Amino acid sequence: MKILSIALNTFRENLRDKLLYNLLVFALLMIGSSVLLSRLTLGEFHRLILDLGLGSINFFGVLIAIFVGIGLVSKEIEKKTIYTIVSKPVARYQFLLGKYLGLTFTLFVNTVVMALGLLLVLYAQDVPVEGMLFKALALIFVEFMVITAVALLFSTFTSATLSAIFTLAMYVIGHLTADLKTFGAKMDDLSRGILNGIYYLLPNLERFNLKGHVVHHLEISGSDLMLIVVYGATYTAFLLFTASLIFHRRDFR
Amino acid sequence: MAVSISYTQHRSAPILSQVLLGMGGFLLLACLGWLQGELDLRQDRTVVQIEGLAQLPKGEYLKPALLGYHHLGADILWLRLIQVIGKKRNSADEYEWMYHALDVLTTLDPQYAYAYYAGGVILGDLANRPDLSIRLLEKGVSANPEVWNIPFLLGYNYYFLLGDPAKGAEYIMKAASLPDRPNYLPGLATRMAAEAGNPDTALAFLEARLRETQDPEMREVLAYRMKEVIIERDLPVLENAVEAYRTQHRSLPAALGDLVAVGALSILPEEPFGGDYQLDPKTGAVSSSTHPERLRTFFKRKKLPAYSFPKVEPSYSFPRTWE
Repeated sequence: MKILSIALNTFRENLRDKLLYNLLVFALLMIGSSVLLSRLTLGEFHRLILDLGLGSINFFGVLIAIFVGIGLVSKEIEKKTIYTIVSKPVARYQFLLGKYLGLTFTLFVNTVVMALGLLLVLYAQDVPVEGMLFKALALIFVEFMVITAVALLFSTFTSATLSAIFTLAMYVIGHLTADLKTFGAKMDDLSRGILNGIYYLLPNLERFNLKGHVVHHLEISGSDLMLIVVYGATYTAFLLFTASLIFHRRDFR
Repeated sequence: MAVSISYTQHRSAPILSQVLLGMGGFLLLACLGWLQGELDLRQDRTVVQIEGLAQLPKGEYLKPALLGYHHLGADILWLRLIQVIGKKRNSADEYEWMYHALDVLTTLDPQYAYAYYAGGVILGDLANRPDLSIRLLEKGVSANPEVWNIPFLLGYNYYFLLGDPAKGAEYIMKAASLPDRPNYLPGLATRMAAEAGNPDTALAFLEARLRETQDPEMREVLAYRMKEVIIERDLPVLENAVEAYRTQHRSLPAALGDLVAVGALSILPEEPFGGDYQLDPKTGAVSSSTHPERLRTFFKRKKLPAYSFPKVEPSYSFPRTWE
């Protein structure tokens, strides 16, 4: 209950920050591109609209997850508002979880509205909508959940600027971890062990990327999809757990 | 008191200062526009834009840098590429750069089937670079074994551009076995395998290509080639008739019209380019007034592939003659 009220408060705070204005940019981008690009391109116009739509939903969401996520805790500490919460009978992990759920809910609303916008454009342009689109959107949201957790974790022990840098770095690395494994395979046992260790520790964000499947009508088995979602959830849980541990020991000065 | 004075001052100034501020802002904006235009004029030439394609990093390096947005990257590259292809004439170098860009694009998104097909058409027919076209299309076949029009175009390239009907027929057979292929394809494939090199088969093939092509420039190229093949189909018919006339009358006909008059030919074929067929009264050879030179074989183009540096060695050696 305490978690929920903190979450709701975080969501309200996000709304007050005019966070959802990014939807306006998204709408303009979608309408503009569907009108303009249909004249510029040759051949598969459908894929252009789908790529652009899914790409911007993903991009805007990641930006929000990173740049709002890093402020979740550090802003409270800076403004000293954290004292009023910590002094109440609220466990620190509850505070952290509430903050996390609040931003996740904001991202959820944001993603749903953008997805509706994309569906509208697809409908207007007579692009057939397949189930794969919703699977891809679901995994994009799972990626947001992981990134938000990463941002939250960093924001429990460093400043906002540093967390932004770290989280961005994690995002970039998360899309490149597959290479770690490939490099490792070419090295000696010790290096391979180290690289594999890093590989398993870092999130493999490329797993959440089904944007290509939508465009090329590729399928993914239900069990694979489930496994990816569980992977995302577990990784998020791991990050939140670590964040709680760190936050629990933290002194506010 | 002081507060109220500053307040009234603030209120009394606005119209003039707002106009000034507005003008200032407008002036700055105009300056920006002019500077931008001037810089564009000085630095951006079309050459630079096309050369940009040559400087693209290899797809293997570009793909990870796009952090999962590589499909969108392929789209943007495609948009840029077709603006360059839209030019009326491209130099040999530019086609090499286009090949590079298409290679990068298809590495970013190996399932971009349309890019393989369109790129194959441009490199094969417009650029006269069957080596590059085939290289791109073969990459496409291995990444998209279920798409029929990529092996279809490969078959076309081997048949018409490289003069290898056997290999051409092989690819058309492959295309005919894939899902969603047009209904005429199996017929064409069996016909090609049975009588590759026959002008009627070649015409049927060109017609099939014409049906798959919307681009007006490409349609023109195909229609021209069809007319060339029609000449090659008509000339042997006419020469056979002349030969028949000679054995019957022990002399050559004075004009081709005589062949119809004596019944050696039911009707005089029309020259497809709007000229006419002419008879050499001494030798009895027949030729076209618009295209006096014969194609060595009807499917073989007179032009040699336009190789230029850096030459890409084809995996396939040619010209290969076909008996």
